Amino acid sequence: MIPGKYRSVSGRAANNVNCGLHLVIQTSSLPEKSKVEFKLNKETPSFSGRLLQHDLERNYSSRQGDGRVISPSPRNKSSCISSTTNVTELCGLEMKTTMSSLSAFGDSSIQTPSKSRIRQGCHSAGPNVSGDHINLASSSMPSFPILQRSSEEKILYSDRLTLERQKLTVCPIIDGEEHLRLLNFQHNFITRIQNISNLQRLIFLDLYDNQIEEISGLSTLRSLRVLLLGKNRIKKISNLENLKSLDVLDLHGNQITKIENVNHLCDLRVLNLARNLLSHVDNLNGLDSLTELNLRHNQITFVRDVDNLPCLQRLFLSFNNISTFESVCCLADSSSLSDITFDGNPIAQESWYKHTILQNMMQLRQLDMKRVTEKKRLTINNVARKWDLQQHRIPNIAPNQDRKVSDSPQDPSQLHGSTISAFPEETGSLDSGLTSALQGLSVTDTHLVEVDGDTLSLYGSGALESLDRNWSVQTAGMVTTVSFTFIEFDEIVQVLPKLKIKFPNSLHLKFKETNLVMLQQFNALAQLRRVDQLTIDPQGNPVVNFTLWKYYVLFRLSHFSMQKINGTEVTQNDMIMAERLFGILAHVASSELPQYRLISILGDARKKQFRYLLETKGKKPGLVNEENSDSKRLVGENTNRATLNYTTRDFYNERLEEIKEKKKFCKMYMEDLVKEATEINMKNEALQKLWPQMFIELVRDAVIEIRNKSSYMKLCLQQITDQK
Amino acid sequence: MLSPERLALPDYEYLAQRHVLTYMEDAVCQLLENKEDISQYGIARFFTEYFNSVCQGTHILFREFSFIQATPHNRASFLRAFWRCFRTVGKNGEAKKKKKKKENLLTMREYHCLLQLLCPDFPLELTQKAARIVLMDDAMDCLMSFSDFLFAFQIQFYYSEFLESVAAIYQDLLAGKNPNTVIVPTSSSGQHRQRPALGEASTLEGVEASLFYQCLENLCDRHKYSCPPPALVKEVLSNVQRLTFYGFLVALSKHHGINQALGALPDKGDLMHDPAMDEELERLLAQVPGLVNSATANPEAGCLPSRTPPRVGSPWRPLHHARKVDAESDGSTEETDESET
Repeated sequence: MIPGKYRSVSGRAANNVNCGLHLVIQTSSLPEKSKVEFKLNKETPSFSGRLLQHDLERNYSSRQGDGRVISPSPRNKSSCISSTTNVTELCGLEMKTTMSSLSAFGDSSIQTPSKSRIRQGCHSAGPNVSGDHINLASSSMPSFPILQRSSEEKILYSDRLTLERQKLTVCPIIDGEEHLRLLNFQHNFITRIQNISNLQRLIFLDLYDNQIEEISGLSTLRSLRVLLLGKNRIKKISNLENLKSLDVLDLHGNQITKIENVNHLCDLRVLNLARNLLSHVDNLNGLDSLTELNLRHNQITFVRDVDNLPCLQRLFLSFNNISTFESVCCLADSSSLSDITFDGNPIAQESWYKHTILQNMMQLRQLDMKRVTEKKRLTINNVARKWDLQQHRIPNIAPNQDRKVSDSPQDPSQLHGSTISAFPEETGSLDSGLTSALQGLSVTDTHLVEVDGDTLSLYGSGALESLDRNWSVQTAGMVTTVSFTFIEFDEIVQVLPKLKIKFPNSLHLKFKETNLVMLQQFNALAQLRRVDQLTIDPQGNPVVNFTLWKYYVLFRLSHFSMQKINGTEVTQNDMIMAERLFGILAHVASSELPQYRLISILGDARKKQFRYLLETKGKKPGLVNEENSDSKRLVGENTNRATLNYTTRDFYNERLEEIKEKKKFCKMYMEDLVKEATEINMKNEALQKLWPQMFIELVRDAVIEIRNKSSYMKLCLQQITDQK
Repeated sequence: MLSPERLALPDYEYLAQRHVLTYMEDAVCQLLENKEDISQYGIARFFTEYFNSVCQGTHILFREFSFIQATPHNRASFLRAFWRCFRTVGKNGEAKKKKKKKENLLTMREYHCLLQLLCPDFPLELTQKAARIVLMDDAMDCLMSFSDFLFAFQIQFYYSEFLESVAAIYQDLLAGKNPNTVIVPTSSSGQHRQRPALGEASTLEGVEASLFYQCLENLCDRHKYSCPPPALVKEVLSNVQRLTFYGFLVALSKHHGINQALGALPDKGDLMHDPAMDEELERLLAQVPGLVNSATANPEAGCLPSRTPPRVGSPWRPLHHARKVDAESDGSTEETDESET
């Protein structure tokens, strides 16, 4: 039912339109009327065009889209086409704004004009007939043409007048038309607003696409409610003091640099400042009725004062220069805001963007044209809160409850059977404030998995389990960015091998609130297949505060030849600096470790590689450098830093326990050995000490024994005979 | 006859005191841990390698903290390894800004991270204590230069048990009681003088140096852990009348002689010089993938000035370079050095 086609049709039809307004200011029952219109138009498409709506609508769409592409004239057909595509993208929201915006002009009884009616209006825009009835005479006055209409025409369209595409360079003097309520000067070359001060009943003034440089000549038009000045050359908002009942003010496509002189417009509901030169937003107080503010395509870096707009519902900030949430934080204080767009801003590129916005702006219903589901919002909040809790407690307590799997609305194919989780017992004992907050959420999810285009976002440690799922080949192949939020890095480390298998194309890793605190943690990423980009959000990752972290990443992950770190291009100098800083560490680690340790540190997969290295090392050093430098470089690139690896805290502690036991055994074993050795030594020493004396005694005994030869002989013989 | 136990004890004690037992235990432990790998190339070779690496001080690389702090030799080896591996981190600024001698400043946490790269379970507490020496107990987030941190860390790490006892003594002295049970006549008079000093603690900070030294001397005599040579401690304390605990630590860490006695690090002036490693680094830099020649030329120029001063024959050089000599012919090393100077 929407735009694309219609738009282009209306665009083409529009070139002939030059007619009065028919529908807009209807005080009678509207739906019927529109129905009639609808029918009529359908049957007689060449029926004299009488609607201005397409222009209006164009303006509004231009608020949505951009001023540049809205002109549907045949002269820029290409832009027309582009506008159609643009509009299709904008779909739903645009419809809505069109509706509400329309209600902003004309009689207040027209509260809910139907969308189809507008569209039909556009469609019906027939060939130009009004030209026959309008006579632009340029005779009597030297510079200003005088406009006269036939009485017939006057009766037919007593309160509206359209002078579109009349190549006007000045406003004509409009005589005898004091009752005019609607005046259209679109697509002329008017440089100054004049000669209309007598039209005091004017409600609607359209000067879209002219060459006006200053807002002027409007001070008498006290009943004016819709003022369209899009695509002009206005530099300053001024001279609107008397237009107290202004409802719609369209200034898109001008050269305005700051918002000013609008604080008295307390009835203004729609303000369009798209495609201007605004650098910031403030000074908005007094705009008590403003519901829609369009600021697309400016150079805005910060937004203030929006919380002073009690009725603001829709705020369009696409394509500006907003890069931090702090610069728009006043939005969080607005209770009425329901739709917001940030696309095309640096902020929207950040990994934290979506959930930070959602977390801080609970009132949002649409973000960047996408509906915010309550579930998602709650989930993200819940995960964030759980994370906070966890961080304040002992960070080691891993949340190990079963969890409910929720999938993003964008990817319903991934929907899994979900089990409602009983909320973990342990949280019951937490401090009361947080507990009560949590209880409200206890039935909602504790983690979130989302696939949005090429990005896989994981919130909460339970989301890591989703890597076990059977992802479709298509989805898995498409994902190039994986973002982790509210998950302990140590937990992520454990699933990295899975990630490597399931999402072979993941090139960009984003970490936010993952407790990256040490440089050595980056070692774990080395096991991945490829990483082109790494984004470590400073929030919840203290390691980013170190000046060395980037270089360490570059050094340790040099085999990936990464292109970007935290959005900054990696330069050759960075690489050299990284090598300069940590090269020695790698060298020491690879060349000075005893072999047995090298082998045990390197995994089995690397052993083979390394043995080669060891062999070459065994050769004459001179030869190695000459002959094998190339092959060594290829292999050594990784191996000389492969010794730098990361074991998660739990695992490491486990290992320490193991070692402890071995040590105990070794200690006992050594103790025994040493005791034995010292005992032997001690005996030896004692023997050494006693031996001379013993020897002397032995000799003496022997000598004494054999002193009397004959008796000794007798004794010996005696002994022999005794033995026999 | 003498009883075997009575005779055995001194031997055993000797081995334990000289940490022979520690290494033997560790060797066996390592053997058991890596038995599959080691069986492939022979137990004899393993033991050779193990004790070689102990000699060279490379045995502590990536080991658990309990082992690293087990012996003074291990501590010295670790200090040395830390210096060698991260000297460039401290030098960074100098290399960047060409001839300006500017050191890279890092925070305590960053230094801790570097320590953890060598020893994954290195306790934060020790790093904090070392940082406290540099920063005089305040503003722990401040930046420190590599050399300041390294020397403070050396004292803190190598003499950590000694320093703990010193802290206790200092507290006792501050509180006005004499920590030594044996009261020397002169120290009792010191005790008397101490009392009024307590009253005006705001004006007179710390304790009296001479009294403090007596206590420390006493401590050194009976301390079973390693402590700095008493003569040098005396030298440190003789220069001042009164001093605070951190003042004492700072003086220790800056004392040239103590650093030499400890023998792990070069003198402060030579801290950035390690020609063999620099050479190695150049080789590594040449391997940076896709490096353009012009790119190498620049950093080299920035690096050269740091290497030009002649190497002072540092006492531990043979120990440290023993392996280097294996890897590259000694002659070539000398040659390059000469060509540079």
